[in-house]
Amino acid sequence: MTMDRLGTGIAWTALILVIAFLLLPIVVVIPVSFTESTVFRFPPEGFSLQWYGRIRNVDGLLGALWLSAQIAALSTATSLLLGTLCAIALVRGLVPGAAAITTFMVSPLMLPGLVLGIALLQTMREVGLRDAWWSLYLAHVVITLPFVMRTVLASLSLFDFAMVDAARTLGCSYPKALWRVLVPNILPGFISGALFAFIASFDNYPVSMFLVDVRTKTLPIQLLNYLEISPDPTLAAVSTVLIGLTVIVLILCDRLVGLRRMASI
Amino acid sequence: MTALGAPAPAAQAGASSAGHLVVTGTSKRFGAAVVLEDLSLSVAKGEFVSLLGPSGCGKTTLLRCIAGLLRPDAGRITVAGQDITALPAHRRNVGVVFQNYALFPHLTVAENIGFGLRAQGVSRAEAAPRVAEALALVRMGEHADKPVTSLSGGQQQRVAVARALVVRPSLLLLDEPFSALDRKLRETMQVELKHLLREVGITAIFVTHDQEEALVVSDRIAVMNSGRIEQLADPATLYGRPVSLYVLDFVGQSTRLAGRIVAVEDGVVTVETSLGPVRAPGRFAPGSRVAVAVRPEAVTLGEGVAGANRVSARVSEISFLGSRTQLHLDLPAEGEDRGVVELPRLPEGVQPGSRVTLAFREADTMVFPA
Amino acid sequence: MSATLAAPAAALPPLRRRLDPMALLALPGVAFLSVVFLLPLLLLLWSSIRGEGGFTVNGYVRVLGDAYYIGVIGNSLQLGLITTAGAFILGYPAAFALARARGYAQVVLFALVFLPLTVSIIVKSFGWGIVLRRDGILNWLMLNVGLIERPVRMIFTEGALYAGMINVFLPFMVLPIYSVVRMIDPRYGDAAATLGASPWYRFTRVTLPLTLPGVVAGASLVFSLAVAAYVTPSLLMGDRYMTMSMVMAKAFLNLRDWQLGGAMAAVLLAVAAMVVVGASLMQRRLARHGGAA
Ligand SMILES: Nc1ncnc2c1ncn2[C@@H]1O[C@H](COP(=O)(O)OP(=O)(O)O)[C@@H](O)[C@H]1O
Ligand SMILES: [Mg+2]
Repeated sequence: MTMDRLGTGIAWTALILVIAFLLLPIVVVIPVSFTESTVFRFPPEGFSLQWYGRIRNVDGLLGALWLSAQIAALSTATSLLLGTLCAIALVRGLVPGAAAITTFMVSPLMLPGLVLGIALLQTMREVGLRDAWWSLYLAHVVITLPFVMRTVLASLSLFDFAMVDAARTLGCSYPKALWRVLVPNILPGFISGALFAFIASFDNYPVSMFLVDVRTKTLPIQLLNYLEISPDPTLAAVSTVLIGLTVIVLILCDRLVGLRRMASI
Repeated sequence: MTALGAPAPAAQAGASSAGHLVVTGTSKRFGAAVVLEDLSLSVAKGEFVSLLGPSGCGKTTLLRCIAGLLRPDAGRITVAGQDITALPAHRRNVGVVFQNYALFPHLTVAENIGFGLRAQGVSRAEAAPRVAEALALVRMGEHADKPVTSLSGGQQQRVAVARALVVRPSLLLLDEPFSALDRKLRETMQVELKHLLREVGITAIFVTHDQEEALVVSDRIAVMNSGRIEQLADPATLYGRPVSLYVLDFVGQSTRLAGRIVAVEDGVVTVETSLGPVRAPGRFAPGSRVAVAVRPEAVTLGEGVAGANRVSARVSEISFLGSRTQLHLDLPAEGEDRGVVELPRLPEGVQPGSRVTLAFREADTMVFPA
Repeated sequence: MSATLAAPAAALPPLRRRLDPMALLALPGVAFLSVVFLLPLLLLLWSSIRGEGGFTVNGYVRVLGDAYYIGVIGNSLQLGLITTAGAFILGYPAAFALARARGYAQVVLFALVFLPLTVSIIVKSFGWGIVLRRDGILNWLMLNVGLIERPVRMIFTEGALYAGMINVFLPFMVLPIYSVVRMIDPRYGDAAATLGASPWYRFTRVTLPLTLPGVVAGASLVFSLAVAAYVTPSLLMGDRYMTMSMVMAKAFLNLRDWQLGGAMAAVLLAVAAMVVVGASLMQRRLARHGGAA
């Protein structure tokens, strides 16, 4: 019994430590973003919003943010389309080699990002595609597709299609039955897949690194550039804004489908 | 109670006049596999019919054709005189209780039951009392706001039944509704559900692969064999006068001996079996291969009545079943022959290994083409 | 007594030969990945064995025959192993507490573990820098508590690198283990207890084997991510600790040495493939023995 309690104690201590450890580097940037001084010293001195005001003046930052949002949104949408169609075929149709296809469709997840980036760079050169925007878009579809595939596949295979039949016998036409029964049940998988995919694209560095050009830079690349050139609290302000956005998105997802339901898929 | 359905008509066993549900010449194939073959079926209003057959014989397929979830390749289906063959599922008003209930996990118990009403455009205010009534009918009132995922198997079945009944379907189809329940609960639910449906006065078709269940819940039983109905009859006829070896085997037990017709006279044939000659009513050409069979309780030990068939065999196993005792016989032709006898009481001195004389009346003996 | 299933089941219909039209829905996705993922990968491997006069293994000789590059490979593997081990030691007990938490507490705790996954790796590495700086939060804390007299240098040390790596990849260990632990019926432990098993015996013979699938999933994920990591090592250590990814980036972006980069990529790919295959073999074995614990 005492050893049971010891085990429980260890587990809870570990969880508290893990959460503190995970949050530490995220939380520290917030006070630093409000500092008055030009270096990030701890504890921060004074209070000012000057670094937030300077975000606008940083060269290329807003453009990079816009580009990253564009690429992430479009590649996620494309992946949702391709991935959902593929998942439906794998779950409902008689696909020869379904297991192999499933493995293939999620395998980019296991591939080191740099290898993918280099391979794409090389291929784009060989076929003469020199446009950074299109290269990034195609590459990010590859990055996002496995996330969508995994979650949509999981929620589709948990879905009992007899429910659609049940809805039809209760007076729903086929499209209406899909809308009233299939959609609410696979929505959590859909949203969490899309969320993961969006984040994976938005945050990607190692693949994008090879595909950007001077005028077309994604946010992580622009941020890292800035960090190397002039590490001042502007970066903390940008980070705080990003963290705030993330928290808002997570709260929205929780309201919409429930975080735990999303995570259980 | 009767608000859920039409007033209960006297449920008549045996199809009378024109059926409420009439399936005519229905066929369905998947690729090369013929799953339903020119199948016809007529069910009277208020009647309970079971579709009984082994797994894969096409019971679910027939049910799906009736519900409009599958389009048969050929045939006609009418309900209350109206041809519904071309109607889509959502316009048929046929209720279905699915095999694993197919409850909607994203909705509560009450929302599940109200789903059909809402889908058919009944306002929330109008639907509420009907949902409450259906909840009361299946005694689930206090669980109205629970998620269906938290219910036990029996409770889920009740919700599924209420969900199907609340829209006042003209016909209720139940696909193996008890298969997800454990044995004890299954027996209670069988009686409970039969009683409930009788009260509502609905016409119902049960699918099952369990003959005992079919005997409990139905007025008539359709025994299915590879996409065809082998025999459709009330339980007593099915048991006492099976039309084929297949039905004989599927419903109840029997002693059964393979043999050959050696004499034909006046509607009575004599069959030479491994245990000697057996006489039975029937019309067969001399020399044809047949099987004779007799139900376990039609057999007595000893000489029996005058003119009875008599054979002698060795007892291999004795099972005490409480109200009766079963003897299993050791028969020479393994595989083809099988022997089971049921007695109200085990006579003194009979034990495994004993030789016994079995007597059964000619009229109780059945002959089937082998 | 029941004659249920007495009759033989009807023979199964022959498998349909013609292609199911629904299978065609898989086509766009599969075609896309074949062109934009598989083809480039094959081209990359091809370029690693293409020299002046046709076929060559020169790139591989340079990578595998050079003590410097062997050292780089060693660095990457070591980084992967230490990160995985650290994440496991911290993450395993934490996953248990997370799975056993109830109600609102679980939602909040879960969100707190989940949130860092959604924050940019650049932001985290930047924040980690602030924590470890000479005038950063950790030195400030230790000075105020009186643990140290003068600030100590932490950033750009190997310890800082490992801590940063574990910080970034820890959630990938916690979440798979969490989802396995959540599925374990706590009654297994009770059952073992009624059989007279001591807590330690129960843990090693019941709990640990049951959670192994989650551990394998988490460990293989963390290892394959850590061994290929680029951003965190280059931000926290720079050129002082070269990993395979860093050599590759340098080979392609600075040196324009495609042969070297390609060969390094192939080695990294082989490591990743071995981890994936090894993990799935282990999962399959565990699945076969699963429940028998
Ligand atoms: N959609 C389908 N496609 C191909 N074969 C099917 C399909 N549905 C059923 N079958 C086949 O039809 C046969 C009858 O199935 P079913 O009606 O479900 O049997 P039962 O309900 O009596 O067990 C089975 O052999 C099954 O494999
Ligand atoms: Mg069935």
